[in-house]
Amino acid sequence: MLAQQTRAFRDMLAREGIIFCYSGYITEGVLTGIGAAIKNKLSVETADKKTARGVFSLFIEQVQNIIRYSAETQSAPAVVNGDPLTELRYGIVTVGKLEGRYFVACANMINRTDVERLRTTLAELQTLDQEALKTLYKERLRGETPEGSKGAGAGFIDIARRATDGFEFDFIDIDDVHAYFAIKAFI
Amino acid sequence: METIHIAATDRSPEVRFDFMANHFSLKGESYPEDVTEFYGPVIGRLEQHLERLEDGALIFDFELIYFNSSSAKVLMGLFDLLDDVAGRGCRVSVNWRFEADDDNMEELGQEFAEDLSNVTFNLVPFSDA
Repeated sequence: MLAQQTRAFRDMLAREGIIFCYSGYITEGVLTGIGAAIKNKLSVETADKKTARGVFSLFIEQVQNIIRYSAETQSAPAVVNGDPLTELRYGIVTVGKLEGRYFVACANMINRTDVERLRTTLAELQTLDQEALKTLYKERLRGETPEGSKGAGAGFIDIARRATDGFEFDFIDIDDVHAYFAIKAFI
Repeated sequence: METIHIAATDRSPEVRFDFMANHFSLKGESYPEDVTEFYGPVIGRLEQHLERLEDGALIFDFELIYFNSSSAKVLMGLFDLLDDVAGRGCRVSVNWRFEADDDNMEELGQEFAEDLSNVTFNLVPFSDA
């Protein structure tokens, strides 16, 4: 029964072309470890450095989004003084290859109040060509870090630039406060 | 000012800032857990040093494998800083080294170079072989 169950799960992943799947609390250590594994796997699988680096980059930017913004958190028990950096953030990340293209997908809980802003941002990025994305990226790198952002605020622009075959995103409401956000980028 | 040397890790580059020789380099991966914590102190020291630099020559070597968007923001600030110094009469050369088959890293170098008016920016491909 146990083997059958896990085999069925494995088959499901295989049907989706998933090479890596992680679901759970994501820490910087998880990012480092899976990042290294993805790098090794891609260097064996593809001779095309640009594709390999692109996939790796999509992975890093998406996972850093989860670490910084997932609204599903748990404070690490070992931590005192409420240091927010040590909160554990929950999310799912998958990396795979289906029908000749690689994808990196992430999903995590966000606050419903952030949905419209995020939807508008991502929908606008989808309409921009590479040249416009480059201009916007540079503006963002030069500008002040946007409110609520813990990085350069350029992560999604970077994802849009690297996703040579575009990206999809979606939201569903979970309860009064939370929504579930998913994004999948293709190379 | 004493030379800064920080060894590379899986996620952060080797930093070599030789203030006496005005030779600086960043080499390796750049997606540190906390970009500000990693780059803040060393870039701060560099800023202090460059404020006092009126003429002479300065070389900055970059040999990055990958950098994330948070690191890109730091690099952008660093290039603006170098361009200012070069605008004051310092001869600033940047060597942007990339693996010969890494088109993307070459393009990223070109993108930084586009915005510089005073720095001499050299794109330097190299091969492992």
